[in-house]
Amino acid sequence: MTDLKKIKKEAEKEIGSAKDLKELQDVFNQYLGKRGELTQILRSLKDMPKRERIMFGKDANDVKNALTIAFDEKSAGLKAGEARAAEEKEWIDVTAPGKKIAVGHLHPLTLAKRKTMEIFQSMGFAVAEGPDIETEWYNFDALNIPKDHPARDVWDTFYLKDGPLLRTHTSPVQIRYMEKNNPPLRIIAPGTVYRHESTDSSHEFQLYQVEGLMVDKDISVANLKAVVGEFFRRFFEKEVDFRLRPDFFPFVEPGFDISITCLVCGGKGCSVCKETGWLEVAGAGMVHPNVFKAAGLSPEWQGWAFGFGLERLAMLKYRINDIRLFRSSDLRFLNQF
Amino acid sequence: MLFSYNWLKDYVKSLPAPDKLAVSLTMHFAEVEDIKKLAGDFVFDIDIRPNRAADCFSHLGIAREIAAIANLTLKMPSVKVPFLGAVKTTDLVEVIVQDKPACSRYTAKAVTDVKVGPSPKWLQDRLKACGMRPINNIVDAANYVMLETGQPLHAFDAEKLQGKKIIVRPAKKTEEIVTLDGDKFSLDPTILVIADEKKPVAIAGIKGGKDTEIDKQTKTIIIESANFNPLAIRRASKKINLRTDASVRFEHGLDPNLAEFALNRAASLMQKIAKGKAAKDMIDIYSQKVSPVQINLDLNYLNGLLGINIAKTRAAQILKKLGFKIIKQTKKYLLVEAPTSRSDVSLPEDLIEEIGRIVGYEQIPAVFPAASLIPAKRNDGLFWEDMVKDILKAVGFTEVYNYSFIADKDAGELVELQNPLSAEQKYLRPSLIPGLLTNAKKNAANFSSIKIFEIGKIFKKDKDIKEQKQLTALMTGTDFYQLKGIVDLLLEKLGISSVWYDDYQPTPEESKLELWHPQKRAEIKTDDGEIGFLGEILPIKAVVFDINFDKLVESVSGEHEYRPISKFPAVVRDLAILVPRKIKVEEVLNKINTAGGAIIRDVDLFDIYEGEEVPDDKKNLAFHIIYQSEEKTLTSAEVDLVQQKVIKALEKDPSWEVRK
Repeated sequence: MTDLKKIKKEAEKEIGSAKDLKELQDVFNQYLGKRGELTQILRSLKDMPKRERIMFGKDANDVKNALTIAFDEKSAGLKAGEARAAEEKEWIDVTAPGKKIAVGHLHPLTLAKRKTMEIFQSMGFAVAEGPDIETEWYNFDALNIPKDHPARDVWDTFYLKDGPLLRTHTSPVQIRYMEKNNPPLRIIAPGTVYRHESTDSSHEFQLYQVEGLMVDKDISVANLKAVVGEFFRRFFEKEVDFRLRPDFFPFVEPGFDISITCLVCGGKGCSVCKETGWLEVAGAGMVHPNVFKAAGLSPEWQGWAFGFGLERLAMLKYRINDIRLFRSSDLRFLNQF
Repeated sequence: MLFSYNWLKDYVKSLPAPDKLAVSLTMHFAEVEDIKKLAGDFVFDIDIRPNRAADCFSHLGIAREIAAIANLTLKMPSVKVPFLGAVKTTDLVEVIVQDKPACSRYTAKAVTDVKVGPSPKWLQDRLKACGMRPINNIVDAANYVMLETGQPLHAFDAEKLQGKKIIVRPAKKTEEIVTLDGDKFSLDPTILVIADEKKPVAIAGIKGGKDTEIDKQTKTIIIESANFNPLAIRRASKKINLRTDASVRFEHGLDPNLAEFALNRAASLMQKIAKGKAAKDMIDIYSQKVSPVQINLDLNYLNGLLGINIAKTRAAQILKKLGFKIIKQTKKYLLVEAPTSRSDVSLPEDLIEEIGRIVGYEQIPAVFPAASLIPAKRNDGLFWEDMVKDILKAVGFTEVYNYSFIADKDAGELVELQNPLSAEQKYLRPSLIPGLLTNAKKNAANFSSIKIFEIGKIFKKDKDIKEQKQLTALMTGTDFYQLKGIVDLLLEKLGISSVWYDDYQPTPEESKLELWHPQKRAEIKTDDGEIGFLGEILPIKAVVFDINFDKLVESVSGEHEYRPISKFPAVVRDLAILVPRKIKVEEVLNKINTAGGAIIRDVDLFDIYEGEEVPDDKKNLAFHIIYQSEEKTLTSAEVDLVQQKVIKALEKDPSWEVRK
């Protein structure tokens, strides 16, 4: 009896202190192996008297079962520990930078144009285009800007040899579209325009403009305010305050300048908004009756038009501080979009 | 244009404080761009738009606006002063207007016994505030009245007028004039002048002449207050390249009815500050009388166009404040008479603007239009443009925007500008390639390899000028085949299934921009014909594809059909063949496919080799041939049979040798 107790106690101690699976196997062999101490005791049972054998045999088997369980548990624990240790070796630094796949970049004006088109298309506006090279008729006369009138001086124009000119605004698309399509109509017309002027951080001689036109029987200034307000909100992805104030463009009456709250200072006044708190972003107005007439439409129609510079909006959205960057083709700039 | 705050106070009592006034003007009239503080005054710089130049290049015009906006009373300066002159103007001068279309009205008044000297300080201060240099009390009075009323005036020394005559006529061919500034101008019959019996004494509406200048000895003067044709003045001013305060005002078209008021105003001022005696009479040659126009304003239209309800009484009150007369009122209409000073107002829409801006556009609510829900029609060109951009971006290309202009380099028939900004921008670009080349060179300092593209307009001159959308991409650090793979991918994604490449065939109308490598260049073709080029370019080591985007859009289908995946396994066999160098891969592929038939699912070229171990005039092509049936599992024997057929077909030509 004492032998069994002693064996159990010692075996349990040695199982407990085994450091790895090999040591544990040695302990196992020592007690439960072929020539293990307990194995030998169990083997000796057959030589014992029956009564004793039953008593002792039960105790010996209990010890064997208990030790087997202890071995298994210890073994599982050691195995898990070794697996953990192996995993440890595969540790990586998750803060090290990822390997990037080289994708390209779309131009910020393309991004701004897409956003604009998406917003207006969702409000039912179709997208129209027109030529860069225009006639005097479409660029000026049809838009109620008479020849030799000081109003024409507002548009510094590039002329081509032999007559035609580079359009100074996208407004000719209004006429071209109305000649071919009957109201009610809703369009925007994005495109390149040209101004004969010297450049600096806020002036360019080649610009991207977006024209808008909505014509129906009862279109009002109130409608213009709603559509333009919705556009600003969705373009800048926040509430943007805007205002209309009187301005003059011969192809609209009344005519407006549309300004938005300065996005840099929030309207308090800063160098970007020249301390006014407002930024002019668009010209707009109710289509002049002479423009409808030039496009061959009857006076029953009314509607509004607007035109804004896409560079200006993109500069505000992405905080770009120099308009000349757009056509610089500098990849250090373009790769940021 | 500059305006003195103190001066405006003369006409509007309890004028709002400068800051408040600036905001009011900006929101209801025209933008106040700047307020400058002077000793005892503020100078407003107001951006008056061309339509309001006729009445608002003047302090009185601005004062009328303020009175209407702030609902204050406008106080006009009085011209009902007694004129003290004993002599008659008609005794001192005779006015003859020869060119009546160019001069619709000419008024003149004599002032005698003037004492020429400096003008009083208050007047000098006002001129200076508005950016004018004081000269003497006579000239200053004339300028003062111009800034006050908008009517340019001129004063002649009566004794210097030869033959006591003022003749308004076109200049003669060889005539010249020296102006008050001492500049000499050669004149011609397109330029209108004021002449005496002998010679021009002023360039009409632009500048006075030296010969009849007011000097310290001047005793008797003739004041001119005239109305000249805007076009005539504009053309003359452009021709001699001289713009003055007077010419700018005439160019915009002034009200002839203003001439008399300004004349009397100047005469009374000269009596006051130069001790002159103004004649009681005036000369007035008014050939084309201008009468006020009447406009019928539909109040429903007023409210419908603005989208706000404005009461009839409010509309009428605003118009009256602005100088309009209400001739008749009915329930739904106002019959309005516009003053002749408001030549910009002739339509109901013009009146609606007047009412709308004074009420204030901020009063108009934002209301979405009640329009029918017709979905917008897709713009196919822009849709495909976006798609192409997305594909190129996905394969690593960055989009650039270049200017439409180029310098005169290797120019063929280019579209030329009449007034370029510089020699570098003399022509419209006939191709996007030069721009991309410049971009690549510029970025080479910062980037080892460059992949860029642009979609933009190019311009060509045949019989007419043509503009066309072009798609061009440039890539450095790689070869022809890499870019060809990208073109294939792009066209496949656009649903253009039938694409092939041909050796480049020069055509006579080809652009003279010879940038391409003569050998490493291909024409890209679809069923609709050639759509562009692909190849290496010589100036820098780069490959380029250049596609006519308009043609590309005609070829796209957007069709994309799924091909079922075979349930049976594929068998891959490799095949290497030695062929003469100039045999095209396409030819080999065609032979393989024809001989193999339907069970060849795909043939994949995985190597082209020329060099060591291969004879000089030969190249080695290596293919994976993928065999697969849609109906059964192919046995090895079946595949071998077809593979042998393929080899036999290839070796029909004795110079072709399949390697075993």
